[in-house]
Amino acid sequence: MTNHWIDLKNSDCILIMGSNAAENHPISFKYVTEAMRNGAKLISVDPRFTKTSSKADIYTALRSGTDIAFLGGMIKYILDNNLYNKDYTVEYTNASFIVGKDFTFENGLFSGYTKGKEGQGPSTGSYDKAKWAFEVDEKGIPKMDKTLQDPRCVFQLMKKHYERYTPDVVSTITGTSQEDLLTVYKTYSATGETGKAGTIMYAMGWTQHTVGTQMIRTMCMIQLLLGNMGVAGGGVNALRGESNVQGSTDHALLWHLWPGYLKGPKASQDTLTAYNTKWTPKSSDPQSVNWWQNYPKYAVSMLKSFFGDKATKENDFGYSWLPKADDTGSYSWFDIFDAMYKEKIKGFFSWGQNPACSGSNSGKTRQALEKLEWLVNVNLFDNETGSFWRGPGVDPKKVKTEVFMLPAAVSVEKEGSIINSGRWMQWRYQGPKPMGDSRPDGDIIMELFNKIKELYHKDAPVANKGKNNKKGKKSNQNSKGGVFPEPILNLKWDYETNGAYDPHKAAKEINGYFLNDVTIKDKQYKKGTLVPNFTMLQADGSTSSGCWVYCNSYTEDGNMAARRDTQDAPNNIGLYPKFAWAWPLNRRILYNRASMNPKGEPWNKDKWVVKFAGEQKDGKWTTTKWEGDIPDGPAFPLQNPDGTKREDGKNPFIMQKDGYGQIYGPGLADGPFPEHYEPLECPVEKNYLSPQMVNPTAVVYSTDQDSHATCDPRFPFVGTTYRVCEHWQTGLMTRPQSWLMELQPQMFVEMSEELAALRGIKNGERVKVSSARGEVKCTAMVTKRFKPFKIGNGIVHQVGVPWHFGWRWPDSGAEESANLLTPSAGDPNTRIPETKAFMVNVTKL
Amino acid sequence: MEKSFFIDTTICTGCRGCQIACKQWHDLPAESTKNLGTFQNPPDLSFVTYKLVRMKEEVIDNKLNWLFFPEQCRHCIEAPCLQIAENPKAIYKDSDTGAILYTAKTSDLDADAIIESCPYNIPRKRDDGTLAKCDMCNDRVHNGLKPACVTACPTGTMQFGDRQEMLDMANKRLAEVKAKFPNASLLNPDDVNVIYLAAHDPKLYYEYAVASNNRAEKGISRKVALRKMMGPFASLMRV
Amino acid sequence: MDLNRREFIQVTSATAAGLAVSTLGFDLMPVKAHAQMLKTKYAKETTTICCYCAVGCGAIVHTSQRGDGRVINIEGDPDHVINRGALCPKGGSMKQLVENENRLTRPMYRAPFSDEWQAVSWDWALEHIAQKIKATRDATFETKNSKGQVVNRTTAIASVGSAAMDNEECWTYQAMLRALGLVYIEHQARI
Repeated sequence: MTNHWIDLKNSDCILIMGSNAAENHPISFKYVTEAMRNGAKLISVDPRFTKTSSKADIYTALRSGTDIAFLGGMIKYILDNNLYNKDYTVEYTNASFIVGKDFTFENGLFSGYTKGKEGQGPSTGSYDKAKWAFEVDEKGIPKMDKTLQDPRCVFQLMKKHYERYTPDVVSTITGTSQEDLLTVYKTYSATGETGKAGTIMYAMGWTQHTVGTQMIRTMCMIQLLLGNMGVAGGGVNALRGESNVQGSTDHALLWHLWPGYLKGPKASQDTLTAYNTKWTPKSSDPQSVNWWQNYPKYAVSMLKSFFGDKATKENDFGYSWLPKADDTGSYSWFDIFDAMYKEKIKGFFSWGQNPACSGSNSGKTRQALEKLEWLVNVNLFDNETGSFWRGPGVDPKKVKTEVFMLPAAVSVEKEGSIINSGRWMQWRYQGPKPMGDSRPDGDIIMELFNKIKELYHKDAPVANKGKNNKKGKKSNQNSKGGVFPEPILNLKWDYETNGAYDPHKAAKEINGYFLNDVTIKDKQYKKGTLVPNFTMLQADGSTSSGCWVYCNSYTEDGNMAARRDTQDAPNNIGLYPKFAWAWPLNRRILYNRASMNPKGEPWNKDKWVVKFAGEQKDGKWTTTKWEGDIPDGPAFPLQNPDGTKREDGKNPFIMQKDGYGQIYGPGLADGPFPEHYEPLECPVEKNYLSPQMVNPTAVVYSTDQDSHATCDPRFPFVGTTYRVCEHWQTGLMTRPQSWLMELQPQMFVEMSEELAALRGIKNGERVKVSSARGEVKCTAMVTKRFKPFKIGNGIVHQVGVPWHFGWRWPDSGAEESANLLTPSAGDPNTRIPETKAFMVNVTKL
Repeated sequence: MEKSFFIDTTICTGCRGCQIACKQWHDLPAESTKNLGTFQNPPDLSFVTYKLVRMKEEVIDNKLNWLFFPEQCRHCIEAPCLQIAENPKAIYKDSDTGAILYTAKTSDLDADAIIESCPYNIPRKRDDGTLAKCDMCNDRVHNGLKPACVTACPTGTMQFGDRQEMLDMANKRLAEVKAKFPNASLLNPDDVNVIYLAAHDPKLYYEYAVASNNRAEKGISRKVALRKMMGPFASLMRV
Repeated sequence: MDLNRREFIQVTSATAAGLAVSTLGFDLMPVKAHAQMLKTKYAKETTTICCYCAVGCGAIVHTSQRGDGRVINIEGDPDHVINRGALCPKGGSMKQLVENENRLTRPMYRAPFSDEWQAVSWDWALEHIAQKIKATRDATFETKNSKGQVVNRTTAIASVGSAAMDNEECWTYQAMLRALGLVYIEHQARI
């Protein structure tokens, strides 16, 4: 979320699309309700009438996977009716940038496209993004036309791109009536008025598509056009679904990142200098903060946290000790199970996760697990992953995999922090001790690595005496020494107090220390003290910080995440700046400089976020002073009170190289403007917008377990997955609980009364849902809340299934995972699977 | 001053936080259920389920509505169950809070008569005849806490406080929602300490959303019938 | 930990003078003769943040200070500025997540081709896992890729997990995995 949960109350119009917040983030409705009681409009757009829809002022349905068409139509509506916020669009977005002549868009394809070769990896094709670059001046600064008239400027190209998205065409694609489209467009576009704020709440309903990233991008464009970024009650708000998925992402439990959104290093970046040079953007525009110019400071400080004293300038701070990805390689979730299925992976950790039910095409995942030599499964409960060898249709006698299942402690049995969707880092305390012999994950990790280190430590005695070796195998021949032991032996590993994992020590390392006495701006900082914030991190090895965005979270003033002061800030918009801590620098609303006009005056005087309160003389600012939220940098506003430009003023979008919000986004894999393509599996014979049916860069896998069926009479209905309030993700933590099972006991499929009649299905009876990948038995829930869609000249039915079930719990073994149905196809930017739009059949048992 | 609930169904999202909070605080066991083609579960109140969010899909004025009704004992001001029980060791009213409380001694009562007496069809019996229902979390209330369901509610659907405060809140809110829901009403506000606000005809939410005299027609015991004629709760029974 | 005063509702004639402040920082009204004592009265009180979705709701955990020291109640924290005491059914069931007879309480091992679990000690389990890691890593370690570029990695071991871990654990876990040379590092954020 660029904003945060409480801030929803400040909105004038809340669009919930790609999310069912009332069901899956119920407490968000505390603030949605408050906003509505203050006069805000709630719009719910969803293929199915949900609990969210039940509270909406406006509800309309769209066919799964057609959100870009729906929103592209809104962009056209905004532009046609001049409803965009002109000042904001001109001053703060790249609408005025001139795009190079190489950029074209024809027949559904952008310039620079190369089709993928058959059998050459999962990508269907790729673009040469250089073709989409801006025209720049001699200093490398993009050329602009602030009148927005140049036919090659972003604004005009955008206008041209979305001209095709007429209500008629959009309605034909989405199945939404033109009347409903216009009602939504009109209501939401009203937030373009200066001082009004509209917000979007989305979740996996947008990410889980082959065009997922571009769905979100389309909304980002709308938010920029309407001036809704950086303001209270605005923003682009991803409702993250796991208590610490923000933190686990921040800390880079993802192949392509290093902690703090640093890039994962590639093989071609053979030195730290090469790596830093590659990822440090340069801007010669004095108005651009270009925050990532600090990249080397964060990379070096992170390496110092990895390797401590062993990381020196001479050895590139241990850069070469960390693994590198091939430049063209992909190592994502899909790629793991693809490689595992092809027997390329021998050992596997499933740590606090249940892939046998959670990834799409779970049937392939489950078969892949059988090809492992060993599996370590760490969890609170036995699950479908740990017990895959005794799952439905599996003969244990034929499964070679050794499985270690380790009992983890529940969150309330240990201490540590998590970070919510609004980036609030909050500390949790230990209530009871871990049950039985279960242990906190931190202790398991620490002890496991201690044992690994022991094995690699050349001087250590042979660790395995064979005494407890139940299988009577010989001690491992590599018990001493080992291949490339440096990173293992040099890893800083001092997070222990009295033999137990100490989260405070790790939290301090994540924040970072001064490693020498350092003087910054005439102030001395002692070696061994905690760094106050990331503006003080250094690239010379004199500071450490495990994850630079967290630098300021645990300082000499204490554990900031543990704060519980319930007093609001003077602007009284629910920032609660001394309750918990938010990254970065306790900033609660990102890009908040865009909440002010170029002179530093809030667009909305009542719900202001930051306010420039410097002194002025003769119409010029003379000192800097900020009030409200922590601003995106302390620099002067772009203009003086008299409207003259300040050379030292800064653009609000500080994380972008040029400082402008990106209406045109040349960095994505599938194009600088979002374009509607059909899901990989879809019910229509043609794309009504172009000859290109599917995202030309979609990721599709090709083993015998990766079958797909589009416009196939065997699978005539659109299927989608979702969650219910009472279960969580694969249900592994909730299915073993009797209270929650009382409320949602069984796998079900929701369908319209019309579809039920077509198939002769009665409400409450068990039916079979099948796809090209597998089948699942479900209880039919026949409901008015699903309606057939009129698409073109035909009728399209859609059904929905929750993905919370699996054979291990409940004990009946009769409830299975919806992911046995879903396809292994995904978004080219994220490789997130398309589990929100695929094709199924529903039949009586 | 008696306490009251105000339950504003116009903002209920059917999340069922209240339903679970009730089980959690009272340490009530789960029932074994099946999916019956609806999100609602269990299908009914029971000896171990005091709070149940009932769900209905209704098309009203060509618009689909998903109606949620967080059902519980109304803690009647003149409670028929208490009156016919005539046994304060089994059913009594906490004069401080207004809670109508059932004890283990309800096993001595004619359970069916008590159940039939309830215009809202609330009490449920165990095999041994003991009766159970919402106790207003009387222990919490006496200790300065709100009932568990009220604390748990995210949207403010569930409110709790002094009766007059709740009545004022209910009337104010009714006036507010009338613009959007012209047929909105408070359900038996003068007779109960659990005051519901419904946006539509209450019968669309649940048969017993408002006091029902159908129950009498189904065969109410003579004792109840007599009391109904004479008793101060005649207004409640709509006779 | 600093717990603020809870908002509370007043019953009958209790006055401010009658209030007793317990050692838990929890204001308790005089208990009426016929009202039960709160089951949480003598419990240790700690705050937590809900372990399910990412709204980040606060909850209070009441742990018995007698007997087995287990959780007797978990409910929403009225002093938490996000949820103000509210919890959805998942959050409201947290007690049953902790105090659950279905939980794993000791390490288990399943041998190749076996059809059963066997209970093992932590030491045995971690020792054997460490050996497996080392054997697989050492046998498959690539110092250079097919282009001759230095990569120092193994692609024969993969990890998924976990958004259910604390920040500190996430950082520590990724440090271990990267030190081992894994590039197949993924978790819930990808799906």
